Amino acid sequence: MVNAKQQSPDEMSSTVGRLSATVCRPARINDFFYEQRPILLHGHTRSLTKVKYNRDGDLLFSTSKDSKPNVWFAHNGERLGSYDGHNGAVWDLDVSYDSKRLLTASADNTCRLWGVESGKQLYQWNTRTPVRAVAFGQGDRIALYVTDALMGQPSTIWIVPIEDDLENQTDEFIRKIVITGSKATVASWGDLNKTIYTGHEDGTITIWDAETGEQIKHVKSHTKAISDMQWAADYGYFITASKDHTSKIFDAKTLRVMKTYTTTRPVNSAALSPIRPHIALGGGQEAMEVTQVGGAKQGKFETRFFHLPFEEEIGRVKGHFGPINTLAFAPDGRSFASGAEDGFVRIHYFDDDYFDFKYEEESMEL
Amino acid sequence: MAPVTEPSRNWADDDDEIEVEAKDQGLPAPVTREEPDGTRITTEYKINEEGKKVKVVRKTKMRLIKSQVNHAVAERKNNWKKFGEVAGLGAGPDSNSTSFAEKVFLKLSSTVKDHDAPPPEEEGDSLKKALAAAAKSKINCRICQGDHWTSKCPFKDTHAPLGDLGGMDSKDTGSDDVGADAGAGGKYVPPSLRNRGPGEAMRGTGADRRDDFPTIRITNLSEDAQDQDVKDLVSRFGHTSRVFVSRDRETNICKGFAFVSFYHKDDAEKALETLNGFGYDNLILRVEWAKSSRD
Repeated sequence: MVNAKQQSPDEMSSTVGRLSATVCRPARINDFFYEQRPILLHGHTRSLTKVKYNRDGDLLFSTSKDSKPNVWFAHNGERLGSYDGHNGAVWDLDVSYDSKRLLTASADNTCRLWGVESGKQLYQWNTRTPVRAVAFGQGDRIALYVTDALMGQPSTIWIVPIEDDLENQTDEFIRKIVITGSKATVASWGDLNKTIYTGHEDGTITIWDAETGEQIKHVKSHTKAISDMQWAADYGYFITASKDHTSKIFDAKTLRVMKTYTTTRPVNSAALSPIRPHIALGGGQEAMEVTQVGGAKQGKFETRFFHLPFEEEIGRVKGHFGPINTLAFAPDGRSFASGAEDGFVRIHYFDDDYFDFKYEEESMEL
Repeated sequence: MAPVTEPSRNWADDDDEIEVEAKDQGLPAPVTREEPDGTRITTEYKINEEGKKVKVVRKTKMRLIKSQVNHAVAERKNNWKKFGEVAGLGAGPDSNSTSFAEKVFLKLSSTVKDHDAPPPEEEGDSLKKALAAAAKSKINCRICQGDHWTSKCPFKDTHAPLGDLGGMDSKDTGSDDVGADAGAGGKYVPPSLRNRGPGEAMRGTGADRRDDFPTIRITNLSEDAQDQDVKDLVSRFGHTSRVFVSRDRETNICKGFAFVSFYHKDDAEKALETLNGFGYDNLILRVEWAKSSRD
C-alpha cells in the first residue's frame, strides 16, 4: 500500500484500470457476513464447559454441566442433535479429524465415544473418578483422558487405543501416567503424539513423554489454576488461560513465556485467531461471586481481543450475562463462538472492519 | 468441491398459525404475492390489543447464499438427519434453540478504553513528533487535571473540561486561522495539530470526531461500487479513518458518491490530485474536499 505512493502516474492508471474490472461482481459471502447478527444458541440448561469446531468449521460442538452435549451447524445455528447418555456434567470434548467421532469427558465417571452423525454411543470407558479432559491424538487411533484426583485416587492420564472397528475396542489402556502433585485441569497432545501437555490446578504446566510416561519438563508461570490451553496451528506455541487473571503464550518446546496478557478478572478461556495476530480472552468473575457485587456490568462478561505481539487490548464483544467459560475461533478465522455460565452459546461473525484493522506499525514497509 | 444450497426458510414463512387464527376471527386470509424483483409482499389482517382490525403489509426479500464447500461438509449439511433431543425436526433452525441476538459491534482500535488498566500511549509517528514539544511541559488533563492527555482521560465521555488552565488563551482552535498558521511555521502542520500550545492536549480522540480528519468527497461513482472497491481505490494513498459509500436505503445501490477520511492531510491531497478526473468503471471520477458539517 505504501509503495503505491512512489508509483508514477502511468503505473497508477494501469492498476486503477484493473480494479475497475472487479467492481461488477455478485455479492460475496462477506457481504452477507457484514450484516450478520450474532447467533444465539440455547440448547443447554446449565453453564457451558466447552465449545469446539470440527476441522472443516461447519459443525460446532458444545458441552455443558447439563449432561447433554450438542452439535450445531455453525453457519446458521441449526441444532443437528444432542448426545444423550451422560448422567453428570460434561467437562470436555474432542472431535476427530474426519468429524466422524466425538469423545466426551464427564463427571459421571465415564468417558464416552460417540458417532457424530448418528448420535449413538459407540463405547464407554468407566473410571473411578470424574473425567476432566479428553483429546484425540493425531491420526485418531489413540486418545487420552484425564481423571480427577478424588477419594484417594490420584489424578491420572490414561492413554487408550481407538479402534476403527468397534468390535475390537476394549477398555485396555496403552499407558497410564499418574500425576503426583496438583491435579490436571487441561490436557492435550503435543505434536506427533510424542508428548502430552497438561495444565494443573496450581498453575503448573507439564510436558510428559507419551512413550515412557516420564515427566520431561514443568514450569510454574501461573499462580492459579489453568483453565484453558489451545494450540497454534503449527504446534510451535500454545496459549493458556488462568484464574490468576492472566493469559500467556508459551513456547511449546522450552515452555518459555513468550507473551503475557493481563486482565482484571479470572480468565476462563483463551483462543488464538487462525488468520490474524489476535487472541480472544473470555472470563469474568467467578460465578459464585457474581451476586456479591451485582450487575453484569461489573462482572466484565465480555470477550476481549488482544493484539498477539503487542499484548495490548484492541476490542471487546459484549453479550453474555455470565462469565465466559469457553471460546473457540472458527477454523477459517471469520467467526468465533463463546459459551458462558448463562447457558448460551453465541456465534459472532466478524465485520469487514475486523479484517482491515492494523496497527500503524504493522502496515509499514520494511 | 460441491455446492451447498441453503434452504431459504425463515420464521417469516411460518404463516400457518396466522392463517388458522385469521379464520377463527373472520378475517381475510393472508395474501402473499411475489414482485418481479423477487420481493415477497405479504398482506394480512389481524386484531390488535385495542380490538381494532389492522392490516399488516410485510415486505421480505430472500437472498440465496451459495458457498463452495468440500464434499464432507456438503454431505453433512444435506444428508444428515437430526437426532437426540431434536430428532425428527425438519430442516432449518428451530426457533426454540436458535435465535439472533442484537447486533454487537466489535470496533478494533489500538487504544481501548479501560478504566482498570489504561493502555500505554500509542500514537502515530507524525503525531509523536508534533507532540514532543508539548510533552516537554507537564502533561495535564484538561478534564480531571490528571497526569495524562485529555484524550486518554477516563472521564472524557462523561465530564466537560474544567476549563483551560494550560496558559493558552481560550480562542477556538478551529479552522478560521488556518492560513496564517500554515504560512508562519514554514513546515506544513495538519489541521488536527494546529494551535497546539504547551500544556494543551488533543481535542477529542479523533476517532470520535470525524471532522478532524481531512476528508475528500468522491462523486460520479459507479452504481456497482462496493465499500471494498472504494477502500481498495484509496488505500494506496495512505491510511483512511473512514470510508463511507452512500447507498440507497431500499435497494442498497450506491448513490454515486462516497466520503473518505484520511489520517494525514498529505495523503488526502495526493488522493485528490490523482483521483480527480480519473476513469473508474467507465465513469470519470470527480474528487473534491468534503465540506465540513460545521461550516
